[in-house]
Amino acid sequence: MTVQPLWEARRGRVADRLVQYTAIIALIAVMIVFSAAIPTFATPQNLKSVLVNNFALLAIVSIGMTLTVAAGGIDLSVGTAVDFSSLAFVFLVLGGHAVWLSALAGLGAGLAVGLFNAFLITRLGITPFLATLGTLFIGHSGQQLLTGGGNPVYIPPAVVPPSFAFLGHGEILCVPVVLVLVAMVGGAVAILLKRARLGRIILAIGVQRSVAWYSGLPTSGVTGLVYALSALVCAVAGLLLSATVNVYVPYSGNAFLLNAIGATFIGTTLGPHGRPNVAGTLIGVLLLAVVANGLLLSGLNFYWQQVGTGLLIFFVLAASFAKAARTSE
Amino acid sequence: MSASGGAILRSESRAPRREDRRRLVAWLARSSLRFGSYVAFALVLFVFAWRAPAFVSLGNLGNVFGQSAILGVLAFGMTIVIIGGGSNVVTGGIDLSLAANMGLSAAIYAALVQADFGDAVAVAAALGSGAAIGAVNAFSVVSLRIVPLLATLAVMNIAAGLELVITQNTVIAADTNFLSLLSSNGVGGVPILAFALLAVAAVLIVAVQYTPTGLRLYAVGEFPEAARASGLRVNWLVAGSYVASGLCGGIAAILSVAYLSGSTTGSGDMLLSIVVTALLGVVFSRRLVPTIGGTLLSTLFVGSLINGFQLLGVSSYWVNGVQGVLILLVVAATSVLRPQGNGL
Repeated sequence: MTVQPLWEARRGRVADRLVQYTAIIALIAVMIVFSAAIPTFATPQNLKSVLVNNFALLAIVSIGMTLTVAAGGIDLSVGTAVDFSSLAFVFLVLGGHAVWLSALAGLGAGLAVGLFNAFLITRLGITPFLATLGTLFIGHSGQQLLTGGGNPVYIPPAVVPPSFAFLGHGEILCVPVVLVLVAMVGGAVAILLKRARLGRIILAIGVQRSVAWYSGLPTSGVTGLVYALSALVCAVAGLLLSATVNVYVPYSGNAFLLNAIGATFIGTTLGPHGRPNVAGTLIGVLLLAVVANGLLLSGLNFYWQQVGTGLLIFFVLAASFAKAARTSE
Repeated sequence: MSASGGAILRSESRAPRREDRRRLVAWLARSSLRFGSYVAFALVLFVFAWRAPAFVSLGNLGNVFGQSAILGVLAFGMTIVIIGGGSNVVTGGIDLSLAANMGLSAAIYAALVQADFGDAVAVAAALGSGAAIGAVNAFSVVSLRIVPLLATLAVMNIAAGLELVITQNTVIAADTNFLSLLSSNGVGGVPILAFALLAVAAVLIVAVQYTPTGLRLYAVGEFPEAARASGLRVNWLVAGSYVASGLCGGIAAILSVAYLSGSTTGSGDMLLSIVVTALLGVVFSRRLVPTIGGTLLSTLFVGSLINGFQLLGVSSYWVNGVQGVLILLVVAATSVLRPQGNGL
């Protein structure tokens, strides 16, 4: 990098600031356009439906993804943790066990996926991408074997316990339980990354792993913990998923994977140093959720909606990376 | 997976004996891994041949090749991108749009056939759309500087959406003389698709492994700064690798339309298999780097597993798991051999 004259640097800073907030600007613009064009969009019922149906579950999974990306890795097996949590939860509830016990088992099953990842990454030295990809494949087989080839497991409406239904559809002080859980999980992870010593170590590992190691930080242990935590967070999404629809559908968690990656990386553009952060991730998820809902309401051909979503993500990414392109030249 | 095998064997300076022994152990381990993959492949073939004699008939082996053709060609595309982008899968080269690319190009092919355009037009359009998607990837990665993982992810969404627009999420049937020829059996009952796989592999092996351009692509992938300093046109080579990968998507689309007599929904499910196959191919190369030949072997390895499991009556549910365990074993073994500290 060459030394720039001051005025150029300042002009660059204003442009950078604008570019940095591309995702927020896009979110506001999309909201304005939808509100103007679609009368049913800006109604309280619809906005609530966006948050409950489009936003909540993806948000929780994306928070898990944010943790691993913050530590300089990636977790392709987020869906596997969601699935195994949902599987254990539904099987135990069907077996007549108490809901709280089944939920604990679900969290445990998700955590097991994370511990397996942690073992592969920290003990066997496999890169996170490949380790979690392997877990994803093994998890796929595991679910096929457990469900006789991928048949969904339904909980008949007659035997759905009240507390199970409460988890999926209940409200605390008029706020849906799923959103309360998003706030709790998001708050906890945000505090962890921003305020806690552990969070600083995670971010340090994500920026310069070797420097963190040479500084005497427990890189291996913390990395393992990150993958365990990510899976645990995703396990919460698994519980909510099955409680919302009263069914376990094999490999359904994988549907979150690519969107969670997209949301996390859109979120990095909002962070102070282009680092993953919970608030940015949630804005990324909100953008995806609003676009999905608005396009659905627009009555636009369902298949064009996918194209629209893809194009939008593409432009947000292009604008966000414009900064990186300029500074590297 | 950059291997520094050459440097280890060349111990000109008089190093301490312990160092020598460490190098010897590393060399032994590396060569056992190198041949270990071949031994494992041979062992699997042997077990199948022993337990299910039908496995080794020419017709069945031809089937293994034929059924691997689509995955193989797609994995070649992925391999080229990984070669040019470096082996760090998060920031390096990867093309997540390949499966969706194949779906879209196949839909275009089938739709054109339905609309009574001839095979020639349809073939050109499928290859053209594949290359165009590759060009969009190239533009996003090279000019817009979006991380390949994300750029190709966004392009994947767009391509998958366009495919749905064309097919309305149904199967568009396509049946022409050219397609029936492609899906028929050739000499000795071996499917034409098997020959197609070998032909594409042969062309790409020559282009990637034996031309100056191919060598430059490796240089760009392994050490972009050095490649740039020595005057290579890094951007053009990387862009070229994405276009080549897109073309592979187009070729796979043609094979897939022939194999399934039409377009297919759900081609996106192949994405992770493509990634795994391309990465598994690394162990079938002498220096543990991605090569077209290695990817061909890994494709056939996975193909034989699926086929052999069927013949042995083992549930196909195991296939994914075995693939997952394999890649973990292989990568764990390679990472043990690498010096500590450079693995993310």
